[in-house]
Amino acid sequence: MSIEVRSVDKRFGSFVALDDVSLSIPSGELVALLGPSGSGKTTLLRIIAGLETPDRGSVFLNNEEATTRSVRERGVGFVFQHYALFRHMTVFENVAFGLRVRPRADRPAESEIQRRVMELLELVQLDWTAKRYPSQLSGGQRQRIALARALAVQPKVLLLDEPFGALDAKVREELRRWLRRLHQELHLTGVFVTHDQEEALEVATQVAVLNEGKIEQAGSPDDLYHRPATPFVSSFLSSVNLFHGRVEDGRVYVHETPLLVTPEKTQSTAAVVHVRPHGIDVQLKANGKPGIAATIKHINAAGPRAKVEMLTDWGDPILVEMDHQRLKELSLSVDVKVFLTPRDESVFVYDGA
Amino acid sequence: MAAQVQASRNRVIPGFGLTMGYTLTYLSLIALIPLSTILLKTAGMGWVRFFATVASPRVLAAYRLTILASIAGATINSIFGLGVAWSLVRYEFPGKGILDAIVDIPFALPTSVAGITLTTLYAQNGWIGRLLAPLGLKVSYTPLGVIVALVFIGLPFVVRTVQPVLQDIEVELEEAAATLGATRLQTFNKVLLPALRPALITGFTLAFARAIGEYGSVVFISGNMPMRTEVVPLLIMTKLEQFDYQGATAIALVMLALSFALLLTINILQRNSLRHAVG
Amino acid sequence: MRSDEVELTSVMHGEGWGGAETPAKAVARATADPVWARRLILGAAIGFMTLFVLLPLAAVFTQALRNGVRVYLAAVTSAEARSAIRLTLTVAAIAVPLNVIFGLSSAWAITRFDFRGKHLLSALIDLPFAVSPVISGMIYVLLFGAQGWFGGWLADRNLKIIFATPGIVLATTFVTFPFVARELIPLMESVGIEEELAALTLGANGWQTFFRVTLPNVKWGLLYGIVICNARAMGDFGAVSVVSGHIRGLTNTLPLYVEILYNDYDFAAAFAVASLLSLLAVATLIAKRMLGGRSGHGVVDAELPVKEAA
Repeated sequence: MSIEVRSVDKRFGSFVALDDVSLSIPSGELVALLGPSGSGKTTLLRIIAGLETPDRGSVFLNNEEATTRSVRERGVGFVFQHYALFRHMTVFENVAFGLRVRPRADRPAESEIQRRVMELLELVQLDWTAKRYPSQLSGGQRQRIALARALAVQPKVLLLDEPFGALDAKVREELRRWLRRLHQELHLTGVFVTHDQEEALEVATQVAVLNEGKIEQAGSPDDLYHRPATPFVSSFLSSVNLFHGRVEDGRVYVHETPLLVTPEKTQSTAAVVHVRPHGIDVQLKANGKPGIAATIKHINAAGPRAKVEMLTDWGDPILVEMDHQRLKELSLSVDVKVFLTPRDESVFVYDGA
Repeated sequence: MAAQVQASRNRVIPGFGLTMGYTLTYLSLIALIPLSTILLKTAGMGWVRFFATVASPRVLAAYRLTILASIAGATINSIFGLGVAWSLVRYEFPGKGILDAIVDIPFALPTSVAGITLTTLYAQNGWIGRLLAPLGLKVSYTPLGVIVALVFIGLPFVVRTVQPVLQDIEVELEEAAATLGATRLQTFNKVLLPALRPALITGFTLAFARAIGEYGSVVFISGNMPMRTEVVPLLIMTKLEQFDYQGATAIALVMLALSFALLLTINILQRNSLRHAVG
Repeated sequence: MRSDEVELTSVMHGEGWGGAETPAKAVARATADPVWARRLILGAAIGFMTLFVLLPLAAVFTQALRNGVRVYLAAVTSAEARSAIRLTLTVAAIAVPLNVIFGLSSAWAITRFDFRGKHLLSALIDLPFAVSPVISGMIYVLLFGAQGWFGGWLADRNLKIIFATPGIVLATTFVTFPFVARELIPLMESVGIEEELAALTLGANGWQTFFRVTLPNVKWGLLYGIVICNARAMGDFGAVSVVSGHIRGLTNTLPLYVEILYNDYDFAAAFAVASLLSLLAVATLIAKRMLGGRSGHGVVDAELPVKEAA
């Protein structure tokens, strides 16, 4: 089922949650709504589900106007952030609920319900918990039951509200991979909300970044990561070193140091320059190419890559991520002076104010 | 815009119309309309007659007795109620569970049962009256009896208001005071009492509000002597039996005003104490 | 054990603090009261409770049985007693269910929706606590009594509300309607709305959601509220006294019947009937204790108009 949201406004009192938001989700995609808290992503998800009604704008499900349809009639499967499992029902009864409340005419026979529920529990690998109560399950297990419950009514779209937010890092990773596989198997349209950019980029097929009630950029994870359209998107998807500079004669200057980038987007002379820490060449001596001179202040080598904090000659801090091998090659230590050349693909230039 | 926002939330969960409709109708029929009769009846009296009624000597005497006795009862309950709550929260002793349970007896017991029992106990030849007679203390048919009855029915209010607050006070506060050199009495006065004060005031007000309207427990032990042991609820009842509806209503209106003011105070007190809950 | 450990243990065992203590209790001793204060406070508390609660309770039963068991049994099984019991049960059987429906309805309205005047509605539910029982009865006399608003209208149709059962039911309903609501409102507030929203997304309609999801989650609190509501419905005296007219054998509930017997100087019988009501009170307390834990109460009593933070 395709989803389309057009020009949606939503306010709570004086707080603007969504400001003229439009988004198109083709059928079969798994879309991440990514952003910090308060960005409006959960509100948008709930509006799609029918758990909130927009002040302005419309929601289309499969090209049919659904803005005024009640949540029951939309056929969406919703997985809540804190699972919202029915605490006094067993796992089996939880998953069977959607089937049991169908009007008589549509209700499947009891044996059919049994079959479907067990099938789903096997899908989420929790068939052995059928007679347990939610309080007896772990967080990750509850999450999967909530998912099974939502899938039981064969929804046309699956909506997940920060599905892995309340779980440990390891469980999160497992479930992320599992969700991606599930999506590939079932070919459902899916939308999930997250504030974790790694999760969005890893799991989703399309990502929409929201900030303060507006969509900053929407596209494939690849698009967003390598071609962030705004400073917000750039700094949200990756850690960046931020500099103020200027554009002159087709070149970008950061503190009189020209960077080898031909800016395309900027028109003004003032510019905001984002330099990602992991695409910077480090040399001990200037080698003829323009670069930034800096002194090493702190080295943190406890991780997959070394994180080196440096101070540029003009006084700005800069973080560089480099391989341990390179660190050893150059015999780097505190107070050593180095010469930095950011690679083109790690530099992003935006209009400065 | 704001109304739109509110309305939209009410459309997601079903049943707004049905539950609001039933609730408001029920409230109006059972409570609001009957209560309005008091206002309307007294409105029909005119100010002159109204004041003549509520300011007559007998009525004033009744107000004075009611309020003073209620203050006395609530005060006694505050002091001893604090002691009972303290014992239940901080001490271990045999029969503690039973003591905790019987605190609620004055709630659960019908007031006429309480009334006849207290009267019998404190009568000249009753178990307690017999002990007090040699001391020259007469309880039945005196204001003292009224106070005894009001202590009985107000007892749970202070205890149950103070108990949870006492339970939630962190022991670290007292330990800090101890490390700083305070004696137990000082700790109690300077650390615990201030923390308990809101609950004590609330409990006092609750007991007081209950006491001023109390009828059943008091009617037997007081003897209903006008000007001496007649409390306002009894006076109202007497007026009703004499079919002096306007008189009864006028007196009742003053009582209601006082009760509403008290209820408002309790509400504000509780909202304040929740806001200032000390971490 | 090291020597200092031994010393500590012996200190802990001494001084009559009541047996073996864990190290945690040893720490708490910094904040324990001195023994004399302990004895004084505890003694005063126990004395106070004995004087004001235990003695009266004991007195009810001793007085009831003072003329012997046969007199007792005769008193509680007399025709008038039976009719009083019947009336009391009837009134409760009508008032309590009505108030349960009101409680569920108002709790749903208040905790599941946002609307202006929500606080006012919540405060209105506390009204009966602000009204003296006598006044609670009086308002119905003013409405339906012979000289009341509807007095003439009712007389024309030969309908009796005051001095008849309907009046008693009305007055009892008024006095007891807050109890179930006040129990359910904070409970439904804290249980939260998510399970109901989940049920809606799964296709349940309002009634299905209510019966399958909401009700099971509040059942202990609901029972607790019913127990308290019932105790008050059966035990109310002041309000019912005003509307009933005290007509023997017809409009006397048990609490009123106690008064009549007492005023007739039939003390043994009065206390016999009173003992029935006392047993009801004790049963209510037991039920409260059993249900209290499961409905999230612990020790705090529900009759107090305690408001949750909005």
